[in-house]
Amino acid sequence: MSRYGLFICHCGKNIAGTVDVEDLTKRFEGEKDLTVVENYAYLCSDPGQNMIAEAIKNNRLDGVVIASCSPTLHEPTFRNVAQECGLNKYMLEIANIREQCAWVHEDREAATDKAEAIIRGTLARVRNAAALEPIKSPVVKRALVIGAGVAGIQAALDIANSGIEVILVEKNPSIGGHMAQLSETFPTLDCSQCILTPKMVEVSRHPNVKLYTYSEIEEISGSMGDFSVKIRQKPRYVEPDVCTSCGDCAEVCPVVVPNEFDMGLQSRKAIYIPFPQAVPAVYTLDTEHCLGLFPLACAKCRDACEIGAINYDMKPKIVEEHVGAVVVATGYDLYDMSNLGEYGYDRVADVIDGLYFERLLSASGPTGGVIRRPSDGKVPKEIVFIQCAGSREPERHKGYCSKICCMYTAKHAMMFQHAVPEGQSYVFYIDVRTGGRDYEEFYRRAMEDGVIYVRGKVSRVYEEGDKIVVRGADTVAGGPVEVRADMVVLATPMEPSHGVEELVGKLKIGCTADGWVREVHPKLRPVEAVTPGYFIAGAAQGPKDIPETVAQASGAAAKVVNLLSNDYITKEPIVAVVNEDLCVGCRLCIQMCPYNAREWVEERGVASVNAVLCEGCGVCAAGCPSGATRQDGFTDAQIISAVEAMLGGSGEMVRKILGMSGDGEKPKEEELDAEEPVTVLK
Amino acid sequence: MKVGYYPGCTLKGKALALDETTQLAVELLGEELREIPDWTCCGATTPLTETKIANLIAQTRLLIKTRDAGYEALVTTCPFCFSTLRRANLSIREDELKRKRINTYLAEDLRQRDYETPPPPYRQYTGDIGVLHLLEWFRDTVGFDRIKRTCINPLKGMKVVPFYGCQLLRPAEELAMCDPENPTILEEFLEATGADVLDFPPRIDCCGSYLSVAKPEAAMRASYKILDAAKRIGADAIVVTCPLCFFNLDDLQPEMMKHYPEFRPIPVLYFTQLLALAMNAPVDKLGLESHKIDPRPLVEKYSVNISREVPA
Repeated sequence: MSRYGLFICHCGKNIAGTVDVEDLTKRFEGEKDLTVVENYAYLCSDPGQNMIAEAIKNNRLDGVVIASCSPTLHEPTFRNVAQECGLNKYMLEIANIREQCAWVHEDREAATDKAEAIIRGTLARVRNAAALEPIKSPVVKRALVIGAGVAGIQAALDIANSGIEVILVEKNPSIGGHMAQLSETFPTLDCSQCILTPKMVEVSRHPNVKLYTYSEIEEISGSMGDFSVKIRQKPRYVEPDVCTSCGDCAEVCPVVVPNEFDMGLQSRKAIYIPFPQAVPAVYTLDTEHCLGLFPLACAKCRDACEIGAINYDMKPKIVEEHVGAVVVATGYDLYDMSNLGEYGYDRVADVIDGLYFERLLSASGPTGGVIRRPSDGKVPKEIVFIQCAGSREPERHKGYCSKICCMYTAKHAMMFQHAVPEGQSYVFYIDVRTGGRDYEEFYRRAMEDGVIYVRGKVSRVYEEGDKIVVRGADTVAGGPVEVRADMVVLATPMEPSHGVEELVGKLKIGCTADGWVREVHPKLRPVEAVTPGYFIAGAAQGPKDIPETVAQASGAAAKVVNLLSNDYITKEPIVAVVNEDLCVGCRLCIQMCPYNAREWVEERGVASVNAVLCEGCGVCAAGCPSGATRQDGFTDAQIISAVEAMLGGSGEMVRKILGMSGDGEKPKEEELDAEEPVTVLK
Repeated sequence: MKVGYYPGCTLKGKALALDETTQLAVELLGEELREIPDWTCCGATTPLTETKIANLIAQTRLLIKTRDAGYEALVTTCPFCFSTLRRANLSIREDELKRKRINTYLAEDLRQRDYETPPPPYRQYTGDIGVLHLLEWFRDTVGFDRIKRTCINPLKGMKVVPFYGCQLLRPAEELAMCDPENPTILEEFLEATGADVLDFPPRIDCCGSYLSVAKPEAAMRASYKILDAAKRIGADAIVVTCPLCFFNLDDLQPEMMKHYPEFRPIPVLYFTQLLALAMNAPVDKLGLESHKIDPRPLVEKYSVNISREVPA
């Protein structure tokens, strides 16, 4: 007869505070195949783990149930203990009596009953479990980084410096992202470009980095350790290896359009380089504004280019690359100001957002660093900054705090006070949040330098003559307040980079409701995306400032290096398995599989499983009409016996309700209505 | 779309000019807008009450009458009627529980009444009748372009400012007519009449609303700020959509002149009065004589006595 062990954890008071652990232990003592029944204060502690190890060795246990917290937390811990003691680790299962029981109930007796039911179900799973072996597959020792802002650049450099080849893909003509647009950075006020551009150059020259700019991910397939990526290179119509960025083409180009890099405060031509320090230093022809790639319409740039770098016949190119890991560093964009009707962006020219203001502050910006208002170029004497413009307002805009706005607004207002000492800046705020070393001090300095903080929301912004009237509430002084300003800067929130939903759909990684890329665990696994093999760097995950972005990018890079340092990866053997004798070759599973893991084997006339691609979702096992596909770790026998044990009812009934009978017979109405003894918790 | 006209109580009394000029303007447009037969109260401020059903009864009865008269939608000019009807209708359409409750109640109500000739059996109301404000009907069904073509007497040179009031645009997610923070519909309408529309930031301020009953001096102060701003930017008239805005902005002006010595009066016009004028309606048909601040000296300047032929 098989021998099983049951270990129940108190988890301090987390479990024992609600569940009567001693009583629970007694309920299982004496069961004939339960050789060991124990409880302990903290099973995950060293002595707790030793206790389990000793019990497994001394009693030669065939299976173990740990009744404790969620398996996402300590399943690996306990399974390693089992493995070390010679017990196949898939013969150990966790019964979650903390998150799914103790934490959500108050009634001690009912919670103890429920814990018993959960344990009985898990015991049934273990009694029907089979020893499994991890699946091994080779690792492609190259990494893909999507997005080349500061996050992507940092991640790519760290990975490349470990000797691993990196494919860095950027959708824009130049790398650098939003950080390249910024003037000074808080709290030290060092120049953004001065610290970024060396990194841009370094990454572009690194022997281990293969850079694809003006390129997007077309398609990605495969799984952790072996992804196959198709990259679409958009045509620049300028040969990057030939172009010397002399600028002769732009000089003759007759089309003038607003320059996106300068937020439209300056113009560029249809053939352009986004900014002087762009990497690669290559011109790009923007077909949306070009008079047409039709030499009869206009071929001025081609004629002006003496070295013949311009090629109107360039076509989009698809390149295929193989990588073992992917870093998502897609960054952010700002929430559109035109969503905020009350702040007058559509009607008042001198209402701008933070990125506009950065360009006005920037020494290399359109005004050479002199703060001038867009409408008439005058230096404003009074500026109003409105914080939380569209954030922390779940009913109408974004519900979240955009985190960086308090700091960059303090910086903007302080820089204005420095540049225009006789001027006055006002900041309307709800709260000032300055978490971070030296951040609070920075905010204090802004106030000392003359910035006036007004606590309250702004209700209306409108023009009156030459002035902009900002009406709001001062909730400290109590009452309405009006400021007559020359310029208004809105601290609009960060939102996920525009167009990222499409990419996220291709990668099949999870997102939050707001569209940020989700991590496996917010505290313990913050740089891993939910799908294995994907890692997150920077603001793709949520609002972040530069220090945090860079730290996370290095974290993601370390994880990638960690993964790619293995020759093989092992994968959980929770996959579909086919009994080829039963497979009738209907190929339904091939159509159903979302991961392309089911493959047709022509010579045997059966559908097999590619265990490396299989994610163990169970769709094919549930859908297989001939019962040929089994889901290891979740076999029918395991599921039915577990449900049966939990309900204490008849297995036949469960089988019929779940539609697993295989005999195709529907349960009769009266059977479904029959009352089964079900324990209902209050 | 077959549309019925719902004037509501105020337009048959205090705001008669709004009703008459609406009918006149629609006629000059070559459209037909017939009153819903046997119409009843819109429910007025009942949506503000915290009841399960009473705040929907009047609205639903009226909407059922609209449906039974063969109309697909109802159009009204009073922002209060518009707000209460549109919101009640929306909640019947989207809230299954409310829909069930109101239908159960009205069916039972019909059954228990002692009619000489029994009425036809009760038909469930599902919220499928459209509720439109006249401005919306102008914009979405008639089209401002067509209005522009029909205005044979464009009011070029008349400097007007729009005033929205509080009921027309909010709550935005329910009324869904225009961005309440940055509305444009009234401006677009006024431009179609040929008038010069001035940028008027207080256009979405509060006129004082019902405070004119409880605390008249507060309403007067609110209205004064609006009128004073209009005067200061050089407007000839202020154009409103709401009878209550009209009352506060027009009727309170004589009192304002006593309170604020520097205050100079400014005529207030309903949007339909302006439209009828732009379509060359005779001045004596615009109901201007009842205004406290007589707009006739202004209006007569822009009235042209030409023979009228309504374009097809």
